[in-house]
Amino acid sequence: MATIIDVTEDKALEVKDFEFTYAGNEKPSVNKLTMPIAKNSITALIGPSGCGKTTLLRCFNRIHDLYPNNKYSGEILFKGRNILQPKEDLIHLRTQIGMIFQKPTAFPMSIFDNVAYGLRLQGMKNKTELQDRVEKALKDAAIWREVHERLKADANGLSGGQQQRLCIARAIAVEPEVLLFDEPTSALDPISTSGIEELVVELKERVSIIIVTHNMQQAARVSDYTGFMYLGDMIELGRTEDIFVTPSEKLTEEYITGKFG
Amino acid sequence: MSAIIDKIFAYSSKFIAVSILLLVAWIFTVLLQHSLESMATSGFDFVTQTKWAPNLEKFGALPAIYGSVISTFLAMILAVPLAIGVAIYLSELAPAKLKGPVGVSIELLAAIPSVIYGMWGLFYFVPIIRDHVGGIGISMLTAGIVLSIMILPFMAAVTRDAMNTTPDILKESAYALGGTKWDVIKDVIIPYAKAGIIGSFILALGRAIGETMAVTFVMGNVHQISTDLTAPATSIPVTLANEFTEADSGLYYSSLFELSLLLLVISFTIISIAKFYFLRRARIGQ
Repeated sequence: MATIIDVTEDKALEVKDFEFTYAGNEKPSVNKLTMPIAKNSITALIGPSGCGKTTLLRCFNRIHDLYPNNKYSGEILFKGRNILQPKEDLIHLRTQIGMIFQKPTAFPMSIFDNVAYGLRLQGMKNKTELQDRVEKALKDAAIWREVHERLKADANGLSGGQQQRLCIARAIAVEPEVLLFDEPTSALDPISTSGIEELVVELKERVSIIIVTHNMQQAARVSDYTGFMYLGDMIELGRTEDIFVTPSEKLTEEYITGKFG
Repeated sequence: MSAIIDKIFAYSSKFIAVSILLLVAWIFTVLLQHSLESMATSGFDFVTQTKWAPNLEKFGALPAIYGSVISTFLAMILAVPLAIGVAIYLSELAPAKLKGPVGVSIELLAAIPSVIYGMWGLFYFVPIIRDHVGGIGISMLTAGIVLSIMILPFMAAVTRDAMNTTPDILKESAYALGGTKWDVIKDVIIPYAKAGIIGSFILALGRAIGETMAVTFVMGNVHQISTDLTAPATSIPVTLANEFTEADSGLYYSSLFELSLLLLVISFTIISIAKFYFLRRARIGQ
């Protein structure tokens, strides 16, 4: 059976009896899941490919809703409301829960416009305000020094690592409360990867972070809590040092010692 | 041994590739050769004069050039917004059940031979224009509309394909920032697919300007420059299709060849712009 600890911090999100089923499937890809996500902490989701960690991550901003006939059941509580309700305003939800993807996804526009994009979607038109917010976001994402002289240049001219930090700047510019990272370094070289990892750790002062990673060392380096998933089940959720040093579940121990996966 | 085979293969493919260039050069040379008499007689008057009177040996091609440009322009103005609309619907909005059938029927429309568009235009569209817009129905306007209907399926299909190349992850990141469907279409998908979309427009433009059969039925072959769109007109291909059989003098014959040379140069220029400018940018962009 699963071992899910409760968190000592406030909760950013609370998952209750949650199931997710892809369109056309009988079997849920995330089974009967109940877990807390701690506020201003980093929760890492690990597990072998196809275990449902990315699927779960994509439920928190309901990006699954872009494709028809996917089914949710149970509850995900965010700021006291169940975000799975049909009447949930997804546009508003996604400004509060941001997402960073597996590959850098710079839009086909300038560096400045990329970061300003989310702000403009919210109707911000004032030029100086936009400039301030873009500058702040780029500084917070530790990329300001590299790009401040060429804000008007095409964002696709940046390197992969720079583009990924640009995407983080774009996501934090709208000041979300939760950030979802879906294997954010899987397309990056080791140096860019450690840059992103440092950044993620710094960001937790302001946002709650959930990060999906294939890389167990990455989970151990950056996260406060780690959840190990296997075949759609959350096998164990605990403090990261406990998971990696003294796991409660046999399956967790086998996975982190490399016996499978 | 295998090295020799490789060499033979390389040389024979080289020969075939070069023969295409030779073919184009050959066509160009033939047109040029037959145009020489007209060039020597009419000079620049050929492209500046408006009077086309074979019985008087006067050959001013401006009405045909004007007709080609205006009918193509009309066709583009009508077809571009429709093509973008259809493409957006098919790539982003249509439910999966409709995407397939509608997409296939648009591709089928693109396969209809242009002579059929011409016949359909003559028997169906000409009366409508005559009764509801004015004139005798055979006109520049009718030609523009029939042309636009003819190039619409191709433009819509290629534009849709270009939009479909936008990676899902890029669209998702715009949605993840709180974008609506409309935001994502106009800020991410269209800019991403821009080079491909413009490329398809230019290829359609090239097709429209050289189109013969569809417009021959509905344009009238009247050599005049009129600002009234419901008046009959002519275009370069229409003139060629109608008059080659009647060319009874050497100069008349040669003038028609100069017209076709002109058309070749115009089409070549358009396709070259599409290929070298927009398609190159598309590759750099991705």
